Amino acid sequence: MAAIAAALTMIGTGFATAWAEKVVGGATVGAMAEKPELFTKGLVLMVLPETIILFGLIIAIQLVAKVL
Amino acid sequence: MFRPERMARALIVGPRDRLAPTIEVLHSMRLLHIVDHHEGEESFHIGKPLPEASDLSDSLVKLRSISAILAVEGPPKEREAVSLTELRRKILALELNITEEDAARKKIEVLLGDLERRAEELRPFAGLGLPLDDYRGYGSLAVLVGRVAREVSDFETAFPQSEVFRAPGAVAVFVPKAQAEDAAAALGQFGYSSLEVPKDAGGPSALLRTVESDGEKWRARLEEVRGRLEKLRERYAGFVVAAQEVLAVEVEKAEAPLRFAVSEHSFVVDGWVPAARSHELASRLSGTGVHVESGEAPKAHGAADPPVLLKNPKPARPFEFLIHLYSTPSYHELDPTVFMLVAYPFFFGFMIGDAGYGLLFFLLGMIAVWKLPKESDFRNLLIVIAVGGFWALVFGLFVYGEMFGMPFHLPPGAPAEELAWDTFGLNYPLQALIHKSLDLWDMIYLSILFATLHLGTSFVIGFVNEVRHNKRHALAKLGWFLCLFGIFTILTFRLSWTQTGGWVWRVALSWFPRTIEPLGISGLLGVQVPLVSLGLIFCAFLGFGESPVAPLEVGGLVANVMSYARLAAIGVGKAAIATAFNTLILHNFIIEHDVGSAIVGYILLVLAQLLVFVLGGISAGIQGLRLNYVESFTKFYKGNGMRFVPFGTRKPQEA
Repeated sequence: MAAIAAALTMIGTGFATAWAEKVVGGATVGAMAEKPELFTKGLVLMVLPETIILFGLIIAIQLVAKVL
Repeated sequence: MFRPERMARALIVGPRDRLAPTIEVLHSMRLLHIVDHHEGEESFHIGKPLPEASDLSDSLVKLRSISAILAVEGPPKEREAVSLTELRRKILALELNITEEDAARKKIEVLLGDLERRAEELRPFAGLGLPLDDYRGYGSLAVLVGRVAREVSDFETAFPQSEVFRAPGAVAVFVPKAQAEDAAAALGQFGYSSLEVPKDAGGPSALLRTVESDGEKWRARLEEVRGRLEKLRERYAGFVVAAQEVLAVEVEKAEAPLRFAVSEHSFVVDGWVPAARSHELASRLSGTGVHVESGEAPKAHGAADPPVLLKNPKPARPFEFLIHLYSTPSYHELDPTVFMLVAYPFFFGFMIGDAGYGLLFFLLGMIAVWKLPKESDFRNLLIVIAVGGFWALVFGLFVYGEMFGMPFHLPPGAPAEELAWDTFGLNYPLQALIHKSLDLWDMIYLSILFATLHLGTSFVIGFVNEVRHNKRHALAKLGWFLCLFGIFTILTFRLSWTQTGGWVWRVALSWFPRTIEPLGISGLLGVQVPLVSLGLIFCAFLGFGESPVAPLEVGGLVANVMSYARLAAIGVGKAAIATAFNTLILHNFIIEHDVGSAIVGYILLVLAQLLVFVLGGISAGIQGLRLNYVESFTKFYKGNGMRFVPFGTRKPQEA
């Protein structure tokens, strides 16, 4: 059960991250086409949603290891 | 090192006839960041360009158009020395030559386009074979001629009075006018689209042949013209590039007065100069007969903040571009370059954590130092990565005991199919301190530890930045620092069963009071919390000085700390991919297999390693940067400074 829960966590957060990055990435490329100097801001915004899957990963590890 | 170069404001005042020599000196010194004069004061106006400016910019425009026609790209191998006097004559001669050829080329291209269109028009009629006159001049017959997607069949049975001519992809139908509409509808089933009959008379095949042979003739002419242009390009590319550079500089000098304040008989140049070198400027300019007045920049924030020139020791300079990439620091804050120099490569190394890849990254950087031109951002990036590679090497050798995703010695409890370097006869003397895949919680604890150090330093820098002009904000930074420490002690306490967490809790934090809080919050959370840690977390209320909702941000701070778990996640993930590739390929292709499959195996192994190397480099590079930009810089960094661009340097986009 813990393994299934961990897998579901990873799937859910993975999809959430991918979806968020899709939105941000598309907008960033669009903005960069007009103003190339927005690259850094775009990059930063682009990797921001990765925190979601990271939390998913930590929860998944906790579920599997049943610690903390 | 920690602050941008101190600046002094300089005013250069002189009679107008000394304008040209002053510009010459300023341009050659590259020391003065000019502050543009704005119209407003009555006696001083914006200056007019030097008399030669219009001629120079005219030449430059001509040269740029020549360069566009010749498609001169990048600097050629050989540069020609050009002198300003013969420049204009040479440009005019070249322009005459080239515009003629270019006009001819354009004319032929238009002509060829026309011929191509005409051939396209005639082709279906040539296939049908009927003379063009046969398509017109009927009283009772309708002529339907056009392209079809499929061959027209069974048409004559439906329209017995019709006559049909077929060619591949085309059809011509002659039907009584009364049936024209029905016939067109029937043809529609075969993907019919009608064509206009060309106005010419005679056989379409002969016409098409003439058009095609004309086309051939003109294409040959076009090749000739292009060849001549190519020759001109080879001959003059060096001159064009060199002349463009010279002219750009001359135009900049000639147009400089547009940035000065000028009255009837005098001029004033306002600007910033590095304080340590202001006397140099004064002594050089005094030779040209103008007066220089300079004074220290104001200490406090103001409308006219000086431009920012980062001042760092040479090893830290490649990291400056990472700072400018985010935002140039403001004149009054600490320059985070050195902070970045320590943190970024360290994180990179921790994530890669492999002696093999580390060495490769390091070598890549060394090659960049040796081969790439100085001041290029790409070179700087590779140097930054090389420092990261050095840390990866250190981590790989002394902490993880790993090279190219394979441990030097197998950890106890590793799966039977896993391989280690010692099975191949490489006996590395040290044992690994941490096994990435087995000591997952140690990796996470280390991430939390680095998070605390990194964020803690950020708050300290924030405190130093704020303490001089906003005490309440500085107090808030202090509160956050203590709050962070509280969170850290709770996490350390909870993870003190790990190897590293245990050491920190028992040794480094041995002074920390261990009383468990008595208020029942521990029970509520289901997690034991030391009393002092809880107290420290409440220091976040010092953040009231910054914003009334600041204490709610404690959750955000926990999220920031947890965000550093990506260090562990990428480290473990990358190592796992490499291990999977290694075990699969070595077992299935190389060990106890014949020579043929071993060769395939080695090729696969190299490709797989390359993939892990590149992916690892990209993800570790971006994530490391993100931790600095998002998690850390937001704690203290203001940015929005203006870069110091002294008169005479090329602008970044030109360089």
